[in-house]
Amino acid sequence: MNERIEELKVKLIELLNLTDVTPENFDENARLVGGDLGIDSIDVLEMVVMVEKDYGVVINSQEVGEKVFASLTSLADFIQAHTPGNAV
Amino acid sequence: MNLGPVYIAAAGIVSPLGWGLAATEAALRENSSAIGPLDVFPLLQGASLPVGQVAEMDSSLWPSRTHRLARVAARMAMAGCLEPPDAVILGCTTGGILTTEQLLRAGESKKEAYRYHGLFSVAEDIAEQHHCSGPALTVSIACSSGAVAIALALQLLRTGKIRRILAGGVDALSRLTYFGFHALQLVDRNGCRPFDISRQGLAVAEGAGMLLLTTERPDNPLAVLLGAGLSCDAHHPTAPHPEGRGALKAMQTALDDAGLLPAAVDYINLHGTGTPDNDRAEALAITSLFPAPPALSSIKGATGHSLAASGAIEAVISCLAIARGFVPGNTGCRQPDPALNLTPQTVFLARPVGTVLSNSFGFGGNNGCLVFGRDESSPTVNQKERGDLLAIHGSACLTGAGLKPSTLAQLHVGASIAGMLAPNQLEAQLPPRLIRRIKRLARLALLLASSAHEDTEGKEKPAAVFMGTGWGALSETYDFLSRLTESAEQFPSPTDFVGSVHNGPASQVAILFQATGANVTTSGGDYSFEQALLAAQSLLEATDQSALLLGADEGHDPLSFRLDPSITSGPLADGGGALYVNRDPSGARGLVRLAFYGRGQADDLPDRLIAALGGAACIQNDYAAVFAGVPAGIWDQGNRQLAGFLGRIGKGLPVCRYRDFTGEFASASAVAAVMAVSFLEAGCIPGALVGGADVPLESNQKILVLGTGHCLTAMEFMRP
Repeated sequence: MNERIEELKVKLIELLNLTDVTPENFDENARLVGGDLGIDSIDVLEMVVMVEKDYGVVINSQEVGEKVFASLTSLADFIQAHTPGNAV
Repeated sequence: MNLGPVYIAAAGIVSPLGWGLAATEAALRENSSAIGPLDVFPLLQGASLPVGQVAEMDSSLWPSRTHRLARVAARMAMAGCLEPPDAVILGCTTGGILTTEQLLRAGESKKEAYRYHGLFSVAEDIAEQHHCSGPALTVSIACSSGAVAIALALQLLRTGKIRRILAGGVDALSRLTYFGFHALQLVDRNGCRPFDISRQGLAVAEGAGMLLLTTERPDNPLAVLLGAGLSCDAHHPTAPHPEGRGALKAMQTALDDAGLLPAAVDYINLHGTGTPDNDRAEALAITSLFPAPPALSSIKGATGHSLAASGAIEAVISCLAIARGFVPGNTGCRQPDPALNLTPQTVFLARPVGTVLSNSFGFGGNNGCLVFGRDESSPTVNQKERGDLLAIHGSACLTGAGLKPSTLAQLHVGASIAGMLAPNQLEAQLPPRLIRRIKRLARLALLLASSAHEDTEGKEKPAAVFMGTGWGALSETYDFLSRLTESAEQFPSPTDFVGSVHNGPASQVAILFQATGANVTTSGGDYSFEQALLAAQSLLEATDQSALLLGADEGHDPLSFRLDPSITSGPLADGGGALYVNRDPSGARGLVRLAFYGRGQADDLPDRLIAALGGAACIQNDYAAVFAGVPAGIWDQGNRQLAGFLGRIGKGLPVCRYRDFTGEFASASAVAAVMAVSFLEAGCIPGALVGGADVPLESNQKILVLGTGHCLTAMEFMRP
């Protein structure tokens, strides 16, 4: 699980071009969307595409999205639970 | 200053509802949706999302589908008019992108194949078709483009210098917009249902709408254009302000401009895209402005959302509603959303309509609102005389040499400033959070804007933004299309789509400054900055409002080489210039106005230019030097015009061919503008730039910045 979180930190820093954030100071439990990082609805859509492309996991409703992108930890949990082949 | 009515002499329309006014009215009477499956281009996978497509269009690549749609509507609007229009103003977001998409996929690298890509080419084509030798302007402000084009036409007609303008909007379906809106999850898979409780989004569509506007009363005018209002949310690149702040301001401004109270409006043509957020924001704005709202409806459930065309198509329908006496139904809305507190007119209603307010809102929070009335209604416009001149209180430029100080230092010794500022140098001068989602053009614009504001040494933030860009955000456009193709159309980037719109950079500037006034992006090829200046001097209020006027383009490999006729090989150049302007000459560093804008091949262009500047003798007296822009791609024609102009003046004015220094890029004239302002302030033009001795500037002498080639343009700069 920690590996997945570390992997996501690197991916999101690159995907969302968070040049002033490092994996070390990226708090996995902090509010991801609407928090201090300035991540908003457009970034959420970009993350939805990344999660589908890289993990084969589809997030297809706003309600689900809000829960999934609450924090890095919740995102990692969701991917873990929904990765094809993983037990829920 | 013309304060009489502006008439709609005729109109043209082509949309998913059909070709022409009669077919459009018949379709509206039926109140059925024309939204259906896509077949303009094949999809690599999956079923088509619903779209609004125009029937009976052929599928040739040249000229592009956008050009052909525009031609159809323009021909209709001009059918009864024997004289050419004095100007053409089009709203357009994507030009010939549908053709470009196919060419890029095929790996085409020949310039000639891409000649219909630019937005500029659409307005030029329509001007050419209808023998217009005045300005052919393109505004590109996302989904408010069509309405803003008509608003700009209104202001130009009010100057009294122009009598007749063909104005409208056009866009064709394309992969960029189809997949772009899909990536933003803004498309309703069940068609489009504005204001319905279960609405889920829009349907991307296409079409064209054109109005022939005139200050001379025609025999049977369709309607009169009473007023217009523009505003910017300055809130978010895509989402509307949650309370509809900008929408409210645009409607209020348009009513004020028309001299009307809200109670005078009989029908509101809603923007009503069918996205949950747009309809909510629009409803909030309407309920706060109208205590008892009149009949209202969105036609987008029938037509879909034709982007830049929509404001013009709906302007045509607003005029039809007045001329023919009807309120269109809000097709697709079965159960009005009670949360919106508004009940749209759900079915077609035949009844007299006197005054219509038509809303158009777009990405970047850009809003345009138009007010139409009956022929007999006479506007009570109490507009202040504003004149042409803009006072410059600050400036900035950005070139291969860097910002203004280093650029001017190079120019003083006659050295080239051509090149592209390294990405890391650009990045180092901007806050990381501000630029993390935007690419080169928007970054250039933000750095130019903040530097020009800093240069004012403490003036308030600008309230309006006018920006010219020849080619728009090439990085985002290219990256979006590349990723779309590479992922077999599975993973289009929402961020790149948002960034690809031509008005993206100006919207970023608006957000930076919280600039909630007009926000207008023009795209006129090598004359984009001149077009932005014309828009600014026409639209900037006579009040103490200040604006940022910018011109910028980015160099992009490979797109710059393929698209821009002047860029052939060698290192790319890019950058631009920015002026902080208002109407207050006290303490100003300089004054500027667009003195002339003509187009076409006519040999009399230099004569008309000279007449506009007051005659050859006047020019000999008043001007110290000419800064001439001769784009390499139209070298022969540009040189002929320049020689014709200089020959007719009969005095050897010093000439600086500024592209020799800036390099070739569409908005190089914005750099020339900043050079002119700076040299006026310094009182001297470096001799190295004009191939002779330093040129001292007397306090009453002006600098003329000419654009040559497809158009002949003149900006004049002088001291206050």
